Amino acid sequence: MEMDKTDKKYTNGEITVFWHPKKCIHATTCYRELIEVFNPRKRPWVNMDGAPTEEIIRVVKLCPTQALSFKYNKELAPVNTPETAPVLCEARVMEDGPLVLKGEFRIYDTDGQELRHMKMTSLCRCGASETLPFCDGTHRKIGFTGK
Amino acid sequence: MDDNQEIRNNAPEVRIEPGGPIVLKGYFTFRDSSGNIITGEQEIYLCRCGGSKNKPFCDDTHKIIGVPG
Repeated sequence: MEMDKTDKKYTNGEITVFWHPKKCIHATTCYRELIEVFNPRKRPWVNMDGAPTEEIIRVVKLCPTQALSFKYNKELAPVNTPETAPVLCEARVMEDGPLVLKGEFRIYDTDGQELRHMKMTSLCRCGASETLPFCDGTHRKIGFTGK
Repeated sequence: MDDNQEIRNNAPEVRIEPGGPIVLKGYFTFRDSSGNIITGEQEIYLCRCGGSKNKPFCDDTHKIIGVPG
């Protein structure tokens, strides 16, 4: 399928769902079937953690206009890296909030000292946390906005 | 070297720069707040002062407004 610059993609690590807004006629099938994943009131409107892969595939296939499509990630061309390399770490930017790190990573504080091993943490992006470099929720109090 | 140790050695590095950004370096998945995802070997600088005009990325605004800690 030809990609358009308005197209978006969402993945859960196993499959990638493509959304082609120009093809969408708002038939509402996707969110009537699976609001946990396809919720037009949320941003991003597709939450790939909202249902098992098989369920997402079932609903994508119901889309009457092919505005939704999917591919298995193993079929997609790997970017920059050998296909065999497992992804150990995800860094996720929360809108108006912190940076969330999940998985395996090594983290070094401002003095260069490695911090204790952790599998998940949130790092301050607003600059106002009292527990820097970590998030303490202060971004809400100060009304931090940031993509 | 056990498997866990090997995994940790291959894990990406996160550095908190004094007075500066968060530096992420290595092989990882980066997901921005719009849901765009990039997986691969990469090095990115993320704003930590809250003042960048190019969020989530650092644009050196911290040099003007400063980052505490």
